[in-house]
Amino acid sequence: MRTSKLMSLEDAISTYVQDGDLVGFGGLSFWRKSISGCREIIRQNKKNLTICTFVGGMEIDMLVGGGCVSEVRSCFVGMEMFGMAPHYRNAVESGSIKISEETEASIALGLKASYLKVPFMPLKGIIGTDIPKVRNDIKQFEDPLGSGTELIALPKIDLDVAILHVPYADEFGNGNIAGAVWMDDDMAKTAKKTIITCEKLVELEDIIHSPGKAQLPMQTTSAVVKVPFGAHPTSTYPLYTFDALHIQSYLKTNFEEYKKKYILNKNNAQYLEEVGGAQSILNILL
Amino acid sequence: MTEYSNNYTTDELLTVLMAREVRNDDVMIVGVATPMVWAAFTLAKVTHAPDAIYHYIMGNTFVNEARQVSLLYLEMNTARAYRFQNSGECTLESLPSDKLTTIEWFRPGQVDQYGNTNNICIGDWNRPKVRLPGCAGIADFSMFYSRGSFLYIPRHDTRTFVPKIDFISGVGFPEGKQSICGGSGPQCVITNLVYLTFDEDSKRMKIGTIHPGKTIEEIKKSTGFELLEPKDLRKTLPPTEEEINVLRNKVDPLGIRKLEVLTGKEREVLLNEIIEKELEMENRFPKLIS
Repeated sequence: MRTSKLMSLEDAISTYVQDGDLVGFGGLSFWRKSISGCREIIRQNKKNLTICTFVGGMEIDMLVGGGCVSEVRSCFVGMEMFGMAPHYRNAVESGSIKISEETEASIALGLKASYLKVPFMPLKGIIGTDIPKVRNDIKQFEDPLGSGTELIALPKIDLDVAILHVPYADEFGNGNIAGAVWMDDDMAKTAKKTIITCEKLVELEDIIHSPGKAQLPMQTTSAVVKVPFGAHPTSTYPLYTFDALHIQSYLKTNFEEYKKKYILNKNNAQYLEEVGGAQSILNILL
Repeated sequence: MTEYSNNYTTDELLTVLMAREVRNDDVMIVGVATPMVWAAFTLAKVTHAPDAIYHYIMGNTFVNEARQVSLLYLEMNTARAYRFQNSGECTLESLPSDKLTTIEWFRPGQVDQYGNTNNICIGDWNRPKVRLPGCAGIADFSMFYSRGSFLYIPRHDTRTFVPKIDFISGVGFPEGKQSICGGSGPQCVITNLVYLTFDEDSKRMKIGTIHPGKTIEEIKKSTGFELLEPKDLRKTLPPTEEEINVLRNKVDPLGIRKLEVLTGKEREVLLNEIIEKELEMENRFPKLIS
């Protein structure tokens, strides 16, 4: 008999996320981020996390605003057409958080190296930029096989925990992503623990018949949490797009106020009421 | 006879000039939050480059069909398509770039005379005056696209065109030489004032054509280093009536591209207007265009 991995969001975060962890978030920019997971991390007041995500925005800005972060590893952190990520920017400019300067390849290949259990992956790019000057852990080297090609060694990224939001999962931990997968499957396969937040619980049969099947396989999943609209205010294809109005109001609100209104002591239903209820949901549904 | 328009805005001029760089066999790389690039590619696709295909980093997809530019529903443009790349392979170094010619536009925070670019920070990296969002993949592949890289800068000023950039995150022609990664290097810089190219020998930035109504003095005053000048100074060909018509009415009727040019209150008003109009749409698939 297979074991169900269904948990509450509170239990999943308290069980699998520890202070000081290297935490990976799936999705990209305003797309398919487990912001419900972020809110729970803030509620539980986790500290000194290093956040790693391919392209970051809302999740990094909120976690930095919430005081949970000591280091960020991402190749881009911004709020798309809505501007810069304010709390992230302040924290970097005031020196209160560290940055590991990343590129698309340094993250993609870092995860790949972790998956292959090799210390690094080679890349032809980055050479000639200033990135090696601010990254002591990457190094230029000559092809050991003798072609004379100069390469950059990018170190593996071993995540402690990955937090991934998907439209569909079964309770045993198979997750299906309808749109782009980005780094999610590599994160799921390499992180020591993987938390999936999902819109809808389905049966394995449904996942087998969905394009892409189980991109996130149950073998590597630690917890499955059902959180409808759990990526809000970011998107979950093919169900809803990002909530532009909420993102605009986030950018205009002081973080302590925001936290009081939308995060602390709010369950999912109360949160959805607070962000505008049925009208907001109708706004974003595709 | 081609009819040139004499009634166009800065964003329209830039978009048209960017579209003209696209060739029919190109893979057009669309990044995050670059509606002007997207509009330019779509304009090219529905005018002179029907076989060019999109590669959306947002959807991790190759897409053939052209749809209207959208702010809220771009995932409907990018995800519902033939997907051939996934996961760790979604970064662009893994494109079969010996077989495909790619075109990608980068918008730098700072640029120097050799086309090196900075999207990381203003000031010292350890304690920056301004932390910019980051260079995404520019550091990885700007230097090995066989067809080179393409730059656009909607506000040409001495804050962006500087003698020495604070951080090199995109490689142009380092010290006037070709990058060792084998690409062709930056091909042009399109701004609100001028079309710039790079000198074949010295690899320094050079005036290509000056936009209608702009002067060489204005361009020099707005550039923090010396620009090379061609022997005969020519004018940029303005947008045609057709290009303007297709861009305004088919490709981007909501004017989303303008968000890359406007600032302050004006930008905020437009942003709100776009959001309001898109929220009113019942059908949230951006309109297919041909």
